[in-house]
Amino acid sequence: MNLLTSAFALGLILSLLALGVYISFRIFHFPDITTEGSITLGAAICAVMLVKGIHPIIATVAGFVGGGLAGATTGVLHTKFKLHGLLSGILVMTALYSVNLHVMGKSNVPLLSARTLPSIAEEIGAKFVKTSTRLNFLGWELNQQDFFVVGASFLFVTVVSVLLYFFFRTNLGTAMRATGDNPQMIRALGANVDGMIILGLALSNGLIALSGALLAQYQGFADVQMGIGMVVWGLASVIIGEALVGSQSLGLLITGAIMGSILFRLLVAIALRWGLNPNDLKLITALFVFAALILPNLLRGKMRKAVK
Amino acid sequence: MLEIKNISKTFHPHSVNEVRALQDVSFSMQKGSFVIIIGTNGSGKSTMLNAVAGTFLVDTGRITLSNTDITRWPEHRRATLIGRVFQNPFSGTAPTMSIAENLALASRRGLPRGLGWNLNKDLMDQMRGRIRTLNMGLEDRLNNAIGSLSGGQRQALTLLMASWLKPELLLLDEHTAALDPKSADQVIQLSHEIITRDNLTVLMVTHSMQQAVNLGDRIIMMHRGKLLHDLTGAERKRVRVDDLLSRFEEIRRKELLDPAAAAMLQRNYI
Repeated sequence: MNLLTSAFALGLILSLLALGVYISFRIFHFPDITTEGSITLGAAICAVMLVKGIHPIIATVAGFVGGGLAGATTGVLHTKFKLHGLLSGILVMTALYSVNLHVMGKSNVPLLSARTLPSIAEEIGAKFVKTSTRLNFLGWELNQQDFFVVGASFLFVTVVSVLLYFFFRTNLGTAMRATGDNPQMIRALGANVDGMIILGLALSNGLIALSGALLAQYQGFADVQMGIGMVVWGLASVIIGEALVGSQSLGLLITGAIMGSILFRLLVAIALRWGLNPNDLKLITALFVFAALILPNLLRGKMRKAVK
Repeated sequence: MLEIKNISKTFHPHSVNEVRALQDVSFSMQKGSFVIIIGTNGSGKSTMLNAVAGTFLVDTGRITLSNTDITRWPEHRRATLIGRVFQNPFSGTAPTMSIAENLALASRRGLPRGLGWNLNKDLMDQMRGRIRTLNMGLEDRLNNAIGSLSGGQRQALTLLMASWLKPELLLLDEHTAALDPKSADQVIQLSHEIITRDNLTVLMVTHSMQQAVNLGDRIIMMHRGKLLHDLTGAERKRVRVDDLLSRFEEIRRKELLDPAAAAMLQRNYI
């Protein structure tokens, strides 16, 4: 698989991570570090089930549910036991490291021969196109297998994000958004704020674990270390997405998070191609997020001074 | 209707910051009545309102609303019976969400929130109709974010939201204190209209003696976590702003005595 295609597929898969981070960081204003454990949990649950020969769809959904439980745990620690949000996430993330090792039984589970969602996508693709192994898509030479994997990822992410959009337009989803916006107001309107936060974090980490489950299937293994740095990656995607759409509307922000994730992966691929030391990747991502967070305020201050 | 029996609340108990905000307060109000609480700063008038709303649970005593004991109910559960408008115009609305979405949230106050679609055409038409009565031209801006509105407009909308489903009890917590005089008048006028139209039961806290005299059918004066005066009936009808002010002056004189005495003791003995 060539560099651009794999960056594209990876960006699509990790856009679910970006959506999860968008929910916790942006909708609930909750700095949720559970992410780093839940993405691995999703991958671990899915990989172990796949190795046992369980159908990939069931294994993927199981990953989603596992992440949801992890998120709900963070929510309970924060709301019922009044722990600081960041600390709740750190505790659950740390605990998940052991949980993930127990789930996998070892630190790495390869999926070499297992039937996965990408391999199913390739099988379906093979039924439709029997002639050549090279496809021309908008002037882009593609391996036929890669084409169907990317296409299936695209379809999957589209369905999930449309569902998410509709969910946030329901009575429950609107109340959730209001919880992040103004908890005092939504409490006075009869919504259980604690319940909303728990449910919201469950949804967020469910999506993140779903991303992990897909990632494991795509890269062909689950690894106990794979979650490190994922919060910052997700945040970087969300920030890029916000810059791309420059809007407050829900639909555009969801689309933006997905586009941000893909663009971020492409940028990473290009930087690596140009000889960036892979060891520096996380440092540079962290610096990027730092700059993206402080620059708008800094610029505004400069402009105000200039006006004076 | 609302019955408060011997409630007390102490914040930060057994510490140097101990505040005995409510001390054995009892009072009750009839359905359809409009009670106004006034008092000096720190008299416990807002604490009283928050005790009813459920912002915190009282240490002792009982609160009954519409024949239901709500003493141990959490805030969000009490919202099934109570509508609220806050002092801060930013408190009552979700700023990044649209006017329509805010009103839609209010249209399900205290009801279960499931996966039903939040905004439908019927509701939007109903909103336009009700917002038109505000005379603020907001009916054409339903999809604008509330954050772009002025404090007065927000308070008017919060009032509309609190009374969208007729509440058993409406709590108004100095809801015009943070507004400019013109907006404050507008919001008071609107409150009056909605309260008389729907025949609501209202408990209102205010700083303004003028509002206390003009609105409502009963005035309660609080001081240091206790009810000091309760003006009803003929006494309430006779009362003027000056009478209220002189009662406050009376309190102030009594207060002055204590620190002065304390200072004298300090000089002489320490």
